[in-house]
Amino acid sequence: MKLELLKGSRTRILAAVILAIVAIFVVRLFYLQVIKHDYYVGLAKAEQESRFVIPASRGEIYAKSGPDTVPMVMNETVYTVFADPVTIKDKAKVVETLRQIAGGNVRKNFDALLDKKDSRYQVLATKLTRMQADKIKDVDLSGIGFQAISQRVYPEGALGAQILGFVDTTGKGQYGLEGYNNEALKGVDGYLKAVTDVNNVPLTIGNDNISQPAQNGKNIVLSIDRNVQSHVESALAAGMQRDGAKKGSVLVMDPNNGKVLAMANLPTYDPANYNQVEDVAAFNNDTISAPYEPGSDVKTYTLAAGIDKGVAKASDTFNNTDHIKVDDITVSNATLGHTGNITFQTALLYSLNTGFVTIAERLGDGTNITKSARDVMYDYFHNRLGLGDLTGIELANEASGTVISPDAPDGQGNAVRYSNMAFGQGLDATLIQVASGFSALVNGGNYYKPTVIDGYMTDEGFKQNIPPVPLRANVVAKTTSDQVKEATHDARAISFGHTDKSGYYVGGKTGTSQVIVNGQYSDNETIGTYLGYGGGSEDAPRYVIMVQVSGEGQKLGGAQDALPIFTDISNWMLDYLKIQPKG
Amino acid sequence: MSHSQNNYYTSRRQQNWSRNQNTTRFVSSVKLGPVAHTVLVALMITVLGLIYLTQATRTTGYDYESQKIDSQIADLNNQKSDLQIENARLTALSTVKSSTVAREMTTPASTEYVQQ
Repeated sequence: MKLELLKGSRTRILAAVILAIVAIFVVRLFYLQVIKHDYYVGLAKAEQESRFVIPASRGEIYAKSGPDTVPMVMNETVYTVFADPVTIKDKAKVVETLRQIAGGNVRKNFDALLDKKDSRYQVLATKLTRMQADKIKDVDLSGIGFQAISQRVYPEGALGAQILGFVDTTGKGQYGLEGYNNEALKGVDGYLKAVTDVNNVPLTIGNDNISQPAQNGKNIVLSIDRNVQSHVESALAAGMQRDGAKKGSVLVMDPNNGKVLAMANLPTYDPANYNQVEDVAAFNNDTISAPYEPGSDVKTYTLAAGIDKGVAKASDTFNNTDHIKVDDITVSNATLGHTGNITFQTALLYSLNTGFVTIAERLGDGTNITKSARDVMYDYFHNRLGLGDLTGIELANEASGTVISPDAPDGQGNAVRYSNMAFGQGLDATLIQVASGFSALVNGGNYYKPTVIDGYMTDEGFKQNIPPVPLRANVVAKTTSDQVKEATHDARAISFGHTDKSGYYVGGKTGTSQVIVNGQYSDNETIGTYLGYGGGSEDAPRYVIMVQVSGEGQKLGGAQDALPIFTDISNWMLDYLKIQPKG
Repeated sequence: MSHSQNNYYTSRRQQNWSRNQNTTRFVSSVKLGPVAHTVLVALMITVLGLIYLTQATRTTGYDYESQKIDSQIADLNNQKSDLQIENARLTALSTVKSSTVAREMTTPASTEYVQQ
């Protein structure tokens, strides 16, 4: 018998249906496996693969301690303990364990937080050490979790707080070195993309695993010496207590390379508890970010310009009448009575304004502060010695200050302004600018860019930066530098030499500058400063120190209030640097 | 020894070679049909698959070992960090200044310098 599917028979229909179903499967599979291949591969990878961020470790900050380096800022992992109140089984045990182990790190009324059953996350304790966290983990409490957080730790406490700055809760450096060098310190996070198991453990199977190691931040070594910094902060605090000053700043630097050895400001703060600071002004490093009228310290600049241009020497004389007329104003001395033919050395000793206005006039035609005189002064003050210009020090929020150019519009750079500038008024500068310029005046005439970074700590150890070279060489002649040193040494020796350790060569200049209150120079508010240097002999000044004391409504003087702080630090520095006395 | 006659020439050497040949051929009584063959092939594939799985699992096992070691390294690094911080705190200037040794130090009555 011949079997065949009859047209329209049920078997034939079944075959057609099966064929159709198979065709549908084939088409669907083609769509899923070929057309949508990439899409489903992507979905599968998203499920199988995980991406892990490998956090970069923030660079540490070191300071010098003589020839050694010591950590100032390090990283510490601390733990936050949190609870899921819904899954807590034994509340009493949790409370007892945390009280015993976390101690003062627990939050107030943390036991009440465990009753908040409408919440799945309650922080119970913060900033636990690893050891504390491990002990709590060993108790094996249900409903308790831990979160590791890296935080900055300051072994030296508040020492040099305004130099260091701090890292805020978002991990960004603020103020000081942390703020300025945030990019270098934070490093670059790495990542790992890999197939993982159900426990999220990365596996080596898979062809698309990517491992990009983290680049840790740079470990910076400061030129700050912690011993100098500590003594400077103590001396400043003691001096301010003596004077009753509300604010004070001190800067110590090596005039021969621009390295800053100490920078202190009071009031200060504890960077570990920066969030408890009430007045954010405490974050500011006034030595670099608070321009002011430097006052008589700048007379050393005017004297240097006069000597360098050959129009004056410290031993030259002028006729002092205690008053001098410049255009439509009269400049007077603060100290009266040293009239007659006196030397510029005497003018420096008694800080007589008339003497330095006279030098400014001699830079012109002899009786007027002409445009050429103003050009010369601007060249020395601003272009050569850096007043009113950012120094580029590696700290956040440096302010530039202002030195008005003789070419400024509206006649702002006129003779009257430059007569004031001759004795340190009519211009704004920061302590770092004044001290850096003064360093050039006493080191032989080379201007170094001030720096707080001495090198970097690597896996191989401390790698020191190459020795600095002058940013501007010969800003004044060597002979000019020698004369300025001698003049400032003699000025100090006559009045205050007995306060210095014998056998050393120390010089300096006082400054008492009026503060502008309501647009007028106030006689009731003055800033006291002292700018000086010291060393074993006249040929080798080893340090430059600048002290400033101030306060709203306070009348503070350079000689009475700032100088004793300088003397304290200077005498200590001579011992600390093991400088041998002459003779 | 059997002997047969044929029409072909057989060399003496060839005769010698054949001299010790078995004269009886044994045929195995076990017969493998197509099903048995399929099962055997399936078993072989299964064994090979298991071998592959064993190797793959061993690789994954190394991953767990590696992760365990990484974890130990991280723990040791944390301990090292903690110790470094503790060391820094113990040698901090404020700690040194307030130490018994520092408190008992006195200022020298006089200082003499070696001439250089």
